[in-house]
Amino acid sequence: MAGVNGGAADEGVAVDRVGKTYGGTDSGETAVRALDDVSFAVDRGEFVCLVGPSGCGKTTLFRIIAGLIEATDGTVRLGGTPVTGPTTDMGVVFQEYHLFPWLTVEENVGFGLDRTDRPEADRAARVTAMLELVGLSEFRDAYPKSLSGGMKQRVAIARALAVDPALLLMDEPFGAVDAQTREMLQRELLDVWRSTGKTVLFVTHDVAEAVTLADRIVVMAADPGRVREVVDVDVDRPRERDDPAFGEHVARVRDLIGAGE
Amino acid sequence: MATDTGGRFDETGGDVSGATGLRADLGLGDTRRLRRGAGGVVGFVVVWQLVSLTTSPIVLPSPAAVAEAFAAELASGTMTAALFSSVRHWIPGTVVGTGLGVGAGVAFGWSRVLDDVTAPLVRALRPVPPLALIGFAIAWFGLNHAGAAFIIAVGAFWINFYAAYGAVEGVSEDLLDVGRTLGVRGDLDMIRSVVLPASLPGITTGIRTGLGRCWMLVVAAEIFGVPGIGREILRASNNLLVDTSIAYILVLSLMYLVVDVAFRAAQRRVLAWQA
Repeated sequence: MAGVNGGAADEGVAVDRVGKTYGGTDSGETAVRALDDVSFAVDRGEFVCLVGPSGCGKTTLFRIIAGLIEATDGTVRLGGTPVTGPTTDMGVVFQEYHLFPWLTVEENVGFGLDRTDRPEADRAARVTAMLELVGLSEFRDAYPKSLSGGMKQRVAIARALAVDPALLLMDEPFGAVDAQTREMLQRELLDVWRSTGKTVLFVTHDVAEAVTLADRIVVMAADPGRVREVVDVDVDRPRERDDPAFGEHVARVRDLIGAGE
Repeated sequence: MATDTGGRFDETGGDVSGATGLRADLGLGDTRRLRRGAGGVVGFVVVWQLVSLTTSPIVLPSPAAVAEAFAAELASGTMTAALFSSVRHWIPGTVVGTGLGVGAGVAFGWSRVLDDVTAPLVRALRPVPPLALIGFAIAWFGLNHAGAAFIIAVGAFWINFYAAYGAVEGVSEDLLDVGRTLGVRGDLDMIRSVVLPASLPGITTGIRTGLGRCWMLVVAAEIFGVPGIGREILRASNNLLVDTSIAYILVLSLMYLVVDVAFRAAQRRVLAWQA
């Protein structure tokens, strides 16, 4: 698989002492510390999940890593380069899909490619490959409105992967679909991860989902949002929910989350 | 790139045909609705006829009298000439007003700075009715098509300005975020790639409203002497030729109907992704 775009050899993502304060002296309101001293790293090719109770700043951290908002302190580095704004080295997938409703499936997937200097033939081949990857080849001319939630999220994943980013960054991507579709999408995401070798950072509040997917789980605590512990998931893949080791990991992470409340 | 699962086609999609014929585009798809509409028109004409029997033709001429007047005006060529004259200021007024209104609405809706700078001016100018500007129209352009087009353009401008402004303001912040993460850089790229297409439904609704409003303004704009349908309506009224007056009002309605139906068909084409 071609394509991690430059950067230090083994560094995927490094979150280094990141903090975020909302409000404060300028606005006259009380400052709210949303994140405090958050540090962890994701190695290249690794699948890491970020879990935590609501209000632990998961989404704030996601937006900082994506370069959509600025951290108050600390830095995020992608392949050794500090993230100072949105970058196409990251494929970002949001919970609510956010497909462009006026574009067909194919055009949505090609949106990022249109902004690169790839030759047209290369671009078309890339779109076709991405649609195959997520199993939506026959829907390439459909508009998002006619797709189910699960299909929309597949399109969003294909769109994020199309520009061949070093990192796939996902914020509760399967939070809006039903349980059955969610399990299918989880399996598919693992397939995509295996076949592309991408680094994945996946935010979720669902502990079982994190244990199903991740090599390691970053468990966060709230008030202020911080890293409580990083848990290695030593369960053989493919992971089955009735595997005792699976249950132990779920219990352990739940305990860690509960301990903060 | 390897794909190794078989179970990816399990989920069945919704209707992806999305094909819309010309009949649907023109709003002719629903025959029951059409029949009811036709019934409404017939009922209206019947009531009109009955009421007209009880009054003098100066108060309310009969439908037949109006039809006669219509035919007479058409035969004499007066009606066609008036229509062409109106169109000669309706088209430039509508096009210029719509273009400027949409342009300004998008720019001010998008740029916080532009919005802040212009907000007081916009609030001061907004309540001025186009008709109040007739003096300026005459002074700046004269008693001609350009002067009438100016009045029409002012009306079209505000409708389109607010429609576009609101549509752009309503564009989801999330879509902008997605655009940024996919490499959209700079205001122009963002407006072209995300903001305009996302606000197109609101913008086209504004244009459609404006097209109708501009026909109304044709009458107003012709008050001061520019020839056209509005001028004929006023002249007939002043001479107590109520039937002729109504005939010209009908021309105005028909023009509005034609333009509105055509625009709606185009709108459905352009916004096929919404259906």
